[in-house]
Amino acid sequence: MASASERKMRAGPLNALPVALFLLIGFVAPLLAVIGYSFMPARTFSLLQAPTLENYTGVFQSSSYISFLWSLGLAAATVAILALVCYPVAYGLARVFGRWSTLLTLLFTIPLFVSENVRLYGWILFFIKNGVLLGSIKSMFGVEFESWLFTEGIIVMGMVYVYLPFMLFPMTLGVSMVPVETRDAAFDLGATRWQVFKEVDLPLSMPGIMIGFLLSFVLAVGALVEAKVLGGQRVIPIVHEIELAFTYAQNWPLGAALAVLLMLVAGALVLLVLRRFDLDVILGRR
Amino acid sequence: MTTRAPVIELRQLTKSFGAFTAVNGIDLVVAEGEFFTIVGPSGSGKTTVLRMLAGLESPTGGDILLRGERINDVPANRRPTCMVFQSLALFPHRTVGQNIEFPLKIRDVPPEERKKRALQLMAQLRLPEDYYGKNVTKCSGGERQRVALARALAYNPDILFFDEPLSAIDYKLRKTLEKELKDIHRETGKTFIYITHSLEEAMVMSDRIGVMRLGHLVQVGTPNEIYTAPNSKFVSEFIGDVNILPVRLAEGGRLQSDEHGATFSAPAMPANFSDGHLVVRPESMRIIERREDAENVLTGKLYNEYALGSRIQYQVRVGERVFIVERLRQQALVGRLDTDVLIGWNARDSILVGD
Amino acid sequence: MNPAERSQRWRASLLWAWALAVVIFMYLPTLSLLLASSTSSRYFLFPITKWGFDWWQKTFNSLEIHALFKTSISIALMVMVIAVTIAFFGALAFARYEWKGRSIYQKIVLLPIFFPQSVLGLALLLWFNAIGIDLSWKSAVFAHLVWIVPVVTLVISIQVYSFDPALEEAAFDLGASRWQVLREVTLPVLFPGIFSGALFAFLLSWGNFPLSLFTTGADTTIPEYLYAKMVAGYTPGVPVLGTVSTIGAAILLLGGYGLIVLRRRARLK
Repeated sequence: MASASERKMRAGPLNALPVALFLLIGFVAPLLAVIGYSFMPARTFSLLQAPTLENYTGVFQSSSYISFLWSLGLAAATVAILALVCYPVAYGLARVFGRWSTLLTLLFTIPLFVSENVRLYGWILFFIKNGVLLGSIKSMFGVEFESWLFTEGIIVMGMVYVYLPFMLFPMTLGVSMVPVETRDAAFDLGATRWQVFKEVDLPLSMPGIMIGFLLSFVLAVGALVEAKVLGGQRVIPIVHEIELAFTYAQNWPLGAALAVLLMLVAGALVLLVLRRFDLDVILGRR
Repeated sequence: MTTRAPVIELRQLTKSFGAFTAVNGIDLVVAEGEFFTIVGPSGSGKTTVLRMLAGLESPTGGDILLRGERINDVPANRRPTCMVFQSLALFPHRTVGQNIEFPLKIRDVPPEERKKRALQLMAQLRLPEDYYGKNVTKCSGGERQRVALARALAYNPDILFFDEPLSAIDYKLRKTLEKELKDIHRETGKTFIYITHSLEEAMVMSDRIGVMRLGHLVQVGTPNEIYTAPNSKFVSEFIGDVNILPVRLAEGGRLQSDEHGATFSAPAMPANFSDGHLVVRPESMRIIERREDAENVLTGKLYNEYALGSRIQYQVRVGERVFIVERLRQQALVGRLDTDVLIGWNARDSILVGD
Repeated sequence: MNPAERSQRWRASLLWAWALAVVIFMYLPTLSLLLASSTSSRYFLFPITKWGFDWWQKTFNSLEIHALFKTSISIALMVMVIAVTIAFFGALAFARYEWKGRSIYQKIVLLPIFFPQSVLGLALLLWFNAIGIDLSWKSAVFAHLVWIVPVVTLVISIQVYSFDPALEEAAFDLGASRWQVLREVTLPVLFPGIFSGALFAFLLSWGNFPLSLFTTGADTTIPEYLYAKMVAGYTPGVPVLGTVSTIGAAILLLGGYGLIVLRRRARLK
């Protein structure tokens, strides 16, 4: 009969089996399929052909890589804005708002459960000609402005809007990881507000901040709906390009190659950041 | 002491975790109805021994016998034993009554009977009756201890195990609970096996004590035996502040201290003694006025004093070593701080240990 | 009030103002949707002249909408049940037991969360095609699960981290069988986490668009329908359905949270 401690050693893998198996079939396998497809000749649909690199070279020869750069740029802008917007809120939620924090957190959580396109449509209604904003201005001041829709700026705003919770919640977690006494000690030893921020707050909340950055960037790079809904055809992000390859152009291998490149970028970032953190400490220390 | 039947016997009990051996061949007999405490610093293996007794860990070697029967392979939920955990492990989602009744509930005891037993235990452990429906998270530290104990006693196990339940409690409450625990032991007549890192706590409650160190049982005896006749330097130090002096055998059966360049008269000597340590308790060490007042005398400087309630502890520096002397408060020295003093003891008040 | 306290109060007010501004920013679209659904006219002109709730009636009576509802709910319920079941065990492996592959396992579980959903949807489309599975709402359930199972595992894990393993040992020591330990101790204590996980699973599936878009095949969920309508042209049905979605999510979330709070308070009486 197995000893108690031996049984405990086996309990882990046993419990992990359903999830691990499921993710193997549902996540790892499809990704491997995509990688496989990316090496197939263009405009074919089967996986059983001689591998080729023509899709990858094609990416750099065509204008597809422009979409890539756009996606990366938009995502970077989004993340930068999000960092500035979210940190004060995260700080407030973790330290200042007291018992209102839970309610506020709930308020920030609710939009997550409504699909993005619906929420973005609300923005269209807000910004469109005769919509909420311009209509009010027109009726109040009699001035008619051009709609801000279908610009790059509005796309970024839309992305900031959609990915805000993904920056906010990890950041809040990070800020709450800074022990109050450590801050107090720094003040007591004579540090100014700015020094406390730089030497105590920032380094100690870094795990949460980094995860927030990582999560929002990776998700923003894969954004599709914001550009479609709010931006019209002005910007084609990389995912839209991939979708076009799969549907319109009927070129699965090309789409797969683009997807693989996107995955490489996202995967490299994720590995870089997540490797340095002990998740038990971050998630368990609440 | 009347000899009672052995209830638990450990034979060469061993537990290894990979390359690390936590418990190294322990032999022990615990008598029926005894209050036995295993004492040791953290890492000594005492918790592992207790968990093996409870069935929460399996031994890698050796045997555990319950009244002569080998129970190594009996799982914890079928042993007639119950453990009070360090964190108490009270079910937070249940009331006091539900916690206490849990062992009865899972044995399909009808609700009426369960409630009767729970109330009986609550009365025995001095918990107010109206606590029956109270949620355990709202109880104080002492109350939670009693609930945990009541729960462990509920189905009348033969042996109770205690995993340092009092270590996280403040001093006054701990002292109260120590005495209560001893009373409960006498009232129920059950065998209690207790572990703690505090020898002081063990001395208050136990019939016998076993001292563990790095997986070995180094000494077993009554509190008095441990206190007056420690068998090693480790056990002597474990008891608390003592004076320990390295010595070796000198001419005429005396002891030579190279550190102080002096010889001392020896107490009872263990067989084949050649070198070891001389142990003198603080209360046996005296500050004297004249050299003739004690058999063995040293000169030093009184450099610190500590008030310890009913006693005062003096620290006397002799060369590189600090000696500790304890006196009753009524016999406090006045105005001798930072002066030279004589300290001395008689051989019969000292103990000689190997090492 | 001394100067230090005064400046602290001032800073707190600033933070509050900023946070409330962000909240308003988050809900402006919802507000617009609400306004747009309150007009009885065919087009959206602000300020609203023709107030009316005709479109609400039309939407609720539409058979097409009923069918969509059924699809979305079927998917969401299946996702919820399956996700919570396997994520419960997955969370125990994540946070409770020490085992050799645990660190890698934790990272693998988190990976689908850090992944652009549209790409995941496309990958699954490819995969289904490669192994010859037809697309329907059932394949969408699978697709949703790939993203949602990690999220639910995470949510339950957070609860598991604060679970004292001594509770299970104590129950076992007191005589309970392994099944009794699970039923009497583990599940009840972990219930708030499991409940939150179930809630998240349902809501995330209900509102999901990118995964549904690529994997539902002929079936349509509500988000897909709304999207099609949105790009085709304006119909007031969209704001109505959008508002219903938001309010529904809010009720479920606030209600679910309220239940947990009430339960905790009842227990601590």
